[in-house]
Amino acid sequence: MIKCVIWDLDNTLLDGVYLESTDRPPAASPRLTSVLTELAGRGILQAIASRNPPEAAEHAERATGHAFAAARCGWGTKSAAVEAIMAELGVSADAVAFVDDDAMERAEVSFRLPDVLVLAPGDMPEAASWPQFGPLAVTDEARRRGELYLQRRSRQEEARAFGGTRDDFLSYCQTRVTIAPARAADLPRLHELSVRTHQFNSTGTQVTEAEFARLLGSAGHLVATVRLADRFGDDGLVGACVIATGPGGWKLTLLMMSCRALGRGVIDALLAWTCLAARSAGADRVAVPCLISPRNVPLRIALAGAGFRAEEQNRADGTTRTAVYRRRLDEPLPDLPDWVTVPP
Amino acid sequence: MTGELTGELRKLLAGVTGDSRPLDAPPETPLLRDGLGLDSLGGTILLTEIKRRYGVDIADEDLNLDSLASIGTLAAYLSARLSGTPGPDRPR
Repeated sequence: MIKCVIWDLDNTLLDGVYLESTDRPPAASPRLTSVLTELAGRGILQAIASRNPPEAAEHAERATGHAFAAARCGWGTKSAAVEAIMAELGVSADAVAFVDDDAMERAEVSFRLPDVLVLAPGDMPEAASWPQFGPLAVTDEARRRGELYLQRRSRQEEARAFGGTRDDFLSYCQTRVTIAPARAADLPRLHELSVRTHQFNSTGTQVTEAEFARLLGSAGHLVATVRLADRFGDDGLVGACVIATGPGGWKLTLLMMSCRALGRGVIDALLAWTCLAARSAGADRVAVPCLISPRNVPLRIALAGAGFRAEEQNRADGTTRTAVYRRRLDEPLPDLPDWVTVPP
Repeated sequence: MTGELTGELRKLLAGVTGDSRPLDAPPETPLLRDGLGLDSLGGTILLTEIKRRYGVDIADEDLNLDSLASIGTLAAYLSARLSGTPGPDRPR
């Protein structure tokens, strides 16, 4: 699934060459602008990688009427620009499409980043109907995604200027994390998170709305949601976990979080809350079965940081690697930060 | 070798955390959370950079990430791996 389209400007998104225009900069390509608007409406992020001064990106925003989630303008390689945008937006190479009219630039990106889907401008009107660009679920959060990434840009700029610790910065941002049981209205977003999250997803399996609905009604399960907001904006529902609440231990059969919540204390808060709630319910341990893949390293670092210990599971040849991360609850547990609100 | 490696890792950590503390913090200072404030994003960038520079895939070998306990444990782990000791056995 493509989560981000990175556009070249000259003779791609713009009908002309920005620096060669003398009296006024080139207009946006009407055909590609309509593709861009369509894809943005499906919740796919739009970004710019261009060999131009930064003013070119500002011009493109005015010309297309679209606020881009990230822009890299400069004279480095396109692959370096694409990688910088991937890091900034938290998307992996196989979730990125790159559009450029220059065959040399396309070849350079294909060579350095073979997982990126590389396309020419002429491919785009048709590509928009390919399944890679078709969202499996479109929710309010998805439609607002571009706007949310813009809020993240301002937050990151402030963080760079801010000198204190991470916790000081989260407090300064008036970070509010709210953990609550899932409701029926959350079902589309829960399904979407299961489809879209990879870096913070314990199992990598897609869960249907019907399955989440069943879990909501199950006496042996608890579906907990996490919402995130701060003074820069409201991110809505950014994460969730499905807990099998057995009498001995709690098992998180699914733990997932949007990568836009990365670095904002959300996963730490959810794990801390789960351990405290499990102990209050009389459980003596929490277990998180987890896929071992290069993609979910952020989740595994968060589990290790929260005191979970991994035990690799035996597997038959050819199956995926898995481990169970466990934490005993008879040891001291961290308190919840005071910016976390939990159900009474 | 560990001394030079430790110096490189300190610079790398300072770059990842955007903070100069890793340059002169005691080797036993924890990396994650309250220590040097490395979070899951910073930790992922650190492991990616270590894999690129030294060819050691810590996230694949050390599931408990005990090597990320402190600057000292990270340097010792890498040093052992670079001197030819294989990573912990795991089912393949």
